[in-house]
Amino acid sequence: MPPIRSKARRSMPRPSIARRGRARHWGTASAFVLPVLGLTVLFSVVPLVMVIRRSLYAGNIFGTNLTFSGLANYREVFATGGGHALIVTAVYTAGFVAVVMGLGGGIALLLDVKLPGLRQVRAFFVIPLVVPPVATAFIWFTFFQPGTGLFNRALAAAGLGQVSLSSATDAMIAVIAFGAWQFFGEAVLLYLAALKTLPRDVLDAASVDGASAWQRLRWIRWPLLRHQTALITIVATLTGLQAFTQIYILTNGGPQGATQTALYYVYDQAFGLGASGSTGLADAMSVILFAISLIVTMTQLALISRPARGAQATRTVPARMGRA
Amino acid sequence: MTGMRLPAKAAVYALVAISVLLVVFPLLWMVAAALKTQAQIIDPNGSLLPVHPQWGNLSRAWNIAPFGTFFVNTAIFSIVTTTGQIATGMLAGYAFAVFDFPAKRVAFYLVMSGLMIPFTVVIVPVVQLLADFGWVNTWQGLLVPNIASALGCFLFRQFFLSAPAELGEAARIDGAGEWRIFWRVYRPLAQPMIAAFTVIAFLQNWNNFLFPLVVTSSEHLMMISQGLTIFQGQITGTAYNLLMAGSLIAVVPVLVVAMIAQRKVVEGLTLGAIR
Repeated sequence: MPPIRSKARRSMPRPSIARRGRARHWGTASAFVLPVLGLTVLFSVVPLVMVIRRSLYAGNIFGTNLTFSGLANYREVFATGGGHALIVTAVYTAGFVAVVMGLGGGIALLLDVKLPGLRQVRAFFVIPLVVPPVATAFIWFTFFQPGTGLFNRALAAAGLGQVSLSSATDAMIAVIAFGAWQFFGEAVLLYLAALKTLPRDVLDAASVDGASAWQRLRWIRWPLLRHQTALITIVATLTGLQAFTQIYILTNGGPQGATQTALYYVYDQAFGLGASGSTGLADAMSVILFAISLIVTMTQLALISRPARGAQATRTVPARMGRA
Repeated sequence: MTGMRLPAKAAVYALVAISVLLVVFPLLWMVAAALKTQAQIIDPNGSLLPVHPQWGNLSRAWNIAPFGTFFVNTAIFSIVTTTGQIATGMLAGYAFAVFDFPAKRVAFYLVMSGLMIPFTVVIVPVVQLLADFGWVNTWQGLLVPNIASALGCFLFRQFFLSAPAELGEAARIDGAGEWRIFWRVYRPLAQPMIAAFTVIAFLQNWNNFLFPLVVTSSEHLMMISQGLTIFQGQITGTAYNLLMAGSLIAVVPVLVVAMIAQRKVVEGLTLGAIR
């Protein structure tokens, strides 16, 4: 993890409040560090090693009778719809990120306009992020009900056809729509924070010189926001890769696996209806999912360690990884 | 931009209104549906508003599933894990920022690797570990894996790295011990950070769905999110008015808390992402 290392090297030896005399504070320091260290190792690092190792073994869920089977689990994953699940993950994540970024960026630009009342409105976009997603997913579930759901009533009123969660395309649209609705407020907040860092005097000067709103966006704001846009895209991508609740509530991965993402495949194989007493397939898919998110996180760290051109440098941490 | 022309201003306000509606409409729909009769729910041409609000739906929903137990469980889970995440994260973050100790770098990278390993990737082996401990379907199984937060540790470390050294030095000259320096000098400095982290950690723990789902199956340990799915299974067919009443029961407490702590929520949600 080179970017973390370089970041750490920059900040660690800085003698701000760091003290010398390592022997004296050894006891205090280890007592302070041990809870987080122990629990992280036990519930993150060890399980990661376990899952990588187990993905190469055949055996039952309790880990008895393990026999080395090489890449057999991985081959089996692709033979049992795993490849399709990866495609579904890509489609879902791409759709999710596109809607989140579009809505988030657009609404943040609107709220950044200096007009009375717009600051207060920001609070509304926090609501979908903080209320239980299971509850709001049920709202969207009723939207799609045949005949009586909001969308179908609107479509019928407009003389158009009906949508249904048992159609593959509609089901995918539904999980993307709800997922994006639930999360886009995060992009609004992050973009608003980024917009605040832009040099106000430059924008005002451009305005005085007669630059239109579109010209200011195209030639001043957008170039300065490109770096943050990349970072917000990554935060959204990591969230999209971990979508679970909306799929569980709206479609259960169906119809016929049309909305079964990689994570849902893992869940289904290990705990759900697809569970077969062996976790080999779930383990192998977990490792694939880990590899994908690792690549995304690495990109994130590389972006963070390379300061933005033009804009002032931003500090970011690989946060927001735990949203399911 | 005060020189904006009137049509432009009107356009901005109109677009903002549409955006707000995008957020608020589904919630209003939920409230309306929760107060409708079953006949109104299944009528494709029925009014969008509840004509004769059925307040009784809320108490019916409350009585179908043990929502009281769900709320108490969710509260216990959120309070314990949030407190744990702040306490352990702050202590470790402080130690990484302040002390010099053997194997510090290794320890730091191990904790930071927790940020690179999404929980979803290790969900299967974590449940296997908990099964080995005999902790499936127990409180310790729910709580212990969620007590530590690598993100919290990182954020507090960054915070304490930028805290002024002179305060601690002065206290040390006055003969204060290390714990006292931490507790009396630096912890109070971190108060705004603690508040922002508390709010988002609490909300995330409150809304955690996947983890309790795979670790518990008994109703007396269930939390509100999982409880809602049980509730859905218990109401029959198309009783969407009751489903929305149950969802409303789950949404309102969080909404109230989030509105009260609004500024801290916004601060917390942008913490850790871009600063």
